[in-house]
Amino acid sequence: MNKKKNQWKAWLYLLPALVVLGVFTVWPIINTLRMGFLEGYNSAGERLGQPFSFGFANFTSVIGYSEFTTCLGNTLLLTVVTVPISTMLALLIAVALNSIKPLKKFFQTIFFLPYVTNSIAIGMVFMAMFSMIGVMPGREPMSIGIINTIIEAFGGTRIDWVNQTSGWGANFFVLVVFIVWNALPFKILVLLGGLQNVDKQYYDAAKVDGASRWRIFWRVTVPLLSPMIAYVVITGFIGGFKEYNSIIGIFGDTMGPNTQQGKWNTMVGYIIQNVSGFQGRASAAAIILFAIIFAVTLINLYVSKKKVHY
Amino acid sequence: MSDEIKKLNENDASSEAEKKPEGEVLGGKDEIAATAKRQTVKKVLVQIGLYTFLTVMAVVVLFPFYWMLISSVKTQAEYNAYNPSLWPRQFIWQNYKGLFVDVHENGIVIEGVADQLNLGTLFLNTVLVGVVSTILSLIVTVLSAYAFARLEFKGKNVLFALMLATMMIPGELFTITNYVTVGSSGLGWVSHSAAEQVTTGESFRAFLALVVPFLVSVFYIYLLRQNFMQIPNELYLAAKVDGTSDLKYLWKVMIPLSAPTLISITILKMMGAWNSYVWPNLVAGEAFKLVTVGLRGAAFKTNELINYPLQMAAVVLVTLPLLIVFIFFRKYIMRGVSRSGIKG
Amino acid sequence: MKKKIGAVLLAGALTCTVGFSLAGCGGEVQQEFEMPDSGFDVTQPVEITFYHTMGAKLKGILDKMIPEFNKLYPNITVTNRSPGGWDEIKTQIVTELGDNSNPDVAYCYPDHVAEYIQWQAAQTLDDFLPGGRYENYTVKQVKLDEKGNQVKDGDNYVYEEVPLGLTQEQKDSFIDAFYNEGNKFEDGSKTYTLPWSKSTEVIFYNADFLEQHSLEVPETWDELEDFCEAVKKINDSLIPFTYDSEANWFITMCEQYGSGYTSSTGEKFLFDNETNRAFVQRFAEWRQKGYFTTQILNSNAYTSELFTSEKSIMCIGSTGGTGYQMDTSGETAPFKVGIAPIPQLKPYSSDHEGYDENYHAKVISQGPSVCIFRNNDPQKVLASWLFVKYFTTNVEFQARFSAESGYMPVLKPEVMRTNAIYDEFLNDTEASSALKALAVDVGMQHSTDYFVSPAFFGSSTAREQVGQLMAAVFERPDTLDAEFRKAMEKCEYYS
Repeated sequence: MNKKKNQWKAWLYLLPALVVLGVFTVWPIINTLRMGFLEGYNSAGERLGQPFSFGFANFTSVIGYSEFTTCLGNTLLLTVVTVPISTMLALLIAVALNSIKPLKKFFQTIFFLPYVTNSIAIGMVFMAMFSMIGVMPGREPMSIGIINTIIEAFGGTRIDWVNQTSGWGANFFVLVVFIVWNALPFKILVLLGGLQNVDKQYYDAAKVDGASRWRIFWRVTVPLLSPMIAYVVITGFIGGFKEYNSIIGIFGDTMGPNTQQGKWNTMVGYIIQNVSGFQGRASAAAIILFAIIFAVTLINLYVSKKKVHY
Repeated sequence: MSDEIKKLNENDASSEAEKKPEGEVLGGKDEIAATAKRQTVKKVLVQIGLYTFLTVMAVVVLFPFYWMLISSVKTQAEYNAYNPSLWPRQFIWQNYKGLFVDVHENGIVIEGVADQLNLGTLFLNTVLVGVVSTILSLIVTVLSAYAFARLEFKGKNVLFALMLATMMIPGELFTITNYVTVGSSGLGWVSHSAAEQVTTGESFRAFLALVVPFLVSVFYIYLLRQNFMQIPNELYLAAKVDGTSDLKYLWKVMIPLSAPTLISITILKMMGAWNSYVWPNLVAGEAFKLVTVGLRGAAFKTNELINYPLQMAAVVLVTLPLLIVFIFFRKYIMRGVSRSGIKG
Repeated sequence: MKKKIGAVLLAGALTCTVGFSLAGCGGEVQQEFEMPDSGFDVTQPVEITFYHTMGAKLKGILDKMIPEFNKLYPNITVTNRSPGGWDEIKTQIVTELGDNSNPDVAYCYPDHVAEYIQWQAAQTLDDFLPGGRYENYTVKQVKLDEKGNQVKDGDNYVYEEVPLGLTQEQKDSFIDAFYNEGNKFEDGSKTYTLPWSKSTEVIFYNADFLEQHSLEVPETWDELEDFCEAVKKINDSLIPFTYDSEANWFITMCEQYGSGYTSSTGEKFLFDNETNRAFVQRFAEWRQKGYFTTQILNSNAYTSELFTSEKSIMCIGSTGGTGYQMDTSGETAPFKVGIAPIPQLKPYSSDHEGYDENYHAKVISQGPSVCIFRNNDPQKVLASWLFVKYFTTNVEFQARFSAESGYMPVLKPEVMRTNAIYDEFLNDTEASSALKALAVDVGMQHSTDYFVSPAFFGSSTAREQVGQLMAAVFERPDTLDAEFRKAMEKCEYYS
């Protein structure tokens, strides 16, 4: 008796969530697929009764467009470079944090700070740090910025990192630094949490045997932490493929230096660029993005199944 | 795992064995003391190394914050020096004032970005979106989590699995359709009108477009359901015997017991509103501008140059609230974060 | 198990229906105008909305003139507002077309209209023009006495019948180039807009500096190069000139060379050619010598500030922005500002080297036109038409508007001269007014040289891309080929 009553009650409780999910999650999944496979689809055209035929034109138009290839390349490269660097660095910091006693909380708090900031706002700070002011050919810039000042203080030569004449490598370096800086706190938090749960006896056993710290790190710590490492790598990859805010933070919506619009555009950037007038293409790109994330996650899971010790 | 350790031990044992002859030759009491001493020295050295490494990394992590703070109190002239100084020669608060009050000359703004930035409105809008969407979202989440944790109904597990499956899909995939849905050919919430004369209706519709699509987070439902499940069933049955209604039980027992999770959700949701950029920038425009959109979009210029000190002052004001929240709710934030893996 | 899945599907279907029904309520497409049998009904109140980009001062002039319009047509209520800048006005309207909440009349640029046409929302004006279907139709308009007061018979207005459409005389009063912009759409056979007020680009120069160093205002690009060299010799830290809009620069050069920019028929994007590459390269070399800066190169800030603060000697910018070209903060202007037409391939004056009397100068025509939107209610369309006709052909309004902004009136100088306000404005000696008058004057002298680039779906992308291309190559000349390719590809992709 009670059970039957629970039936409708349960659905009642779920109703608000289901309505919102239905409109803003389930329908988008169906509709994105639909739009992706209707050639040249745009919602304005649909409103006017323009017919669209089924096919792969959106996909070919997306893949065949060199700026999309740039977006794809940027996204892949930034992810492939920043995820290992930030994971490695986070691991070292976490292990170091785990090996000290005084000031541990203090350092822990500092390393978490980048997480509780607005990444676009802080991106603007990075821009300010790397930026030169008053760049004009044939003249010394008005200001070379703090990073260049530090470089010159150590005897280096200044570089145009992010301004009008900046090159690919310089931009890339700045983006990698910023993205890694941004990605560290979460990874440190997770890895440190993992380390604190590791049974001390493994270390004691290793220590008794007189293994060096380096050996312990590679042969005990890393294997014991492997589930956590797998977790931060997978979430890192997923986040990396959706990169957009970091570029906006540094460069603003030109997605590149002032005179090189779209140079650092990403997959998500491409989708957003097409969202208002070319929903067919945007959908195709979103489906491609989903496929990549799905594939990479599967690969990651497969690799971790072989390597991760539970 | 234990296999691994064993192997490791074997390896180490064999390497020790190779070194042994040396040790035997040098054996003796003094030697043992010396070894102990050497080990202490080594330990201290390692500790020094660790602290050095951590300090260097901490400086790298903190430097942008430092640069933001000191830049915000510099004069533009000092900031624009060929080699900017690491410590301001002259502290000024004008930049903060310039964020709220423009200096006019003949009808032309010569300093400040108050008119175009409208920081007060941005803060208010963002808090409004944050608070309303958090409250509504909590209600929806609690109800759904309760249904999944406590009630029995047909298709529960399948539905729950399906919902979890949607978490796999990147949010950008939803954005496209949602953009159309909230747009003029759908719900008509989107309006692209610019600042000069936004009507209340436009603002309200834009507000809806910012709040409603993100009311339900499957992840939060999942988190809370896990939490609810840990509450022993006996409590529920006892309550039933006492004749307590479901809602009352939910309110009196389950919610207090899952307070930490609810607090985590609240904070993450508020942070999300504060940091959100893509969606508000796409749909709300001027009609309901949120803080990040306003900050990124404003041109901080005095004469023909970007006024970095002014910009940094704005960045400080946008960054500060989050840092304050962090100081008070460190535990909840870190807890929620380590489980979610999502920023905001 | 089967039942379970059934329930889920049901829930899914339910929520989807909600989604569909929510997403399915778009606005309907409005019909092309057809004249009702009874014509314009002056007894029924009709409301129209007008969107523009005017600032407070210009809106003030409009608000002052609307009551004058209402004297003639008391039943029309005009609401006007500015949804923001040029981009906002288009996006706003396109959004509103969705639920038919769009305005009836709007400020427009040709590429906006191209988009409204795509949406089947723009109303053609041909039927109202000389030779059109409604050429001989009349409309009832309240009679005014000599003082401009409404003539009444008791409580009722006294009406007179006047032509509904544009008379031949009214048509002839427009500056031809401006009037003809209205029919540059798609196949060029239909008219969608009338000109409201226009601007062009001119050189603002530091007359004191030029006099002091005995320099002449350059009339050609070659002379400009010599000028830059001379300025750099005088003081290396000066910027000889600034050019606000890279896109205008590119388009103007295409037009002067006749080398091809875009076309609304056949192949749309013609700008990737040897001539264009050559001039971009040439200007990039100038940039490397520090001869100029532009808006994008100047961190997206208008360059007028460089000019008024005497960091640059000349500024090529819009006459619509004349007010910004003079430092009005002090008691007296720090230097005298002169205005001259923009450089050409061959000089204007016969005493300059290379003069060719057969050469046709080309200067860009910018500034708003107005278009009308389709509406199923013919009264609204008629009211909109009467509004547009009134303001575009009203000499007093055109004069006041021009005096306030420095924009050029759209009516011929001989027509404008009949107006006292305009005459006064042109003869005003107060510095900032005088400068605006001078800008108008210089602009009007070249009323036969104006060009507009064709408008079609994708023309705004082309404009944006050539601007970006110029800025990119100026900073990194070695990217010339790549930037041209990229711009072409992007144009093709987004059209």
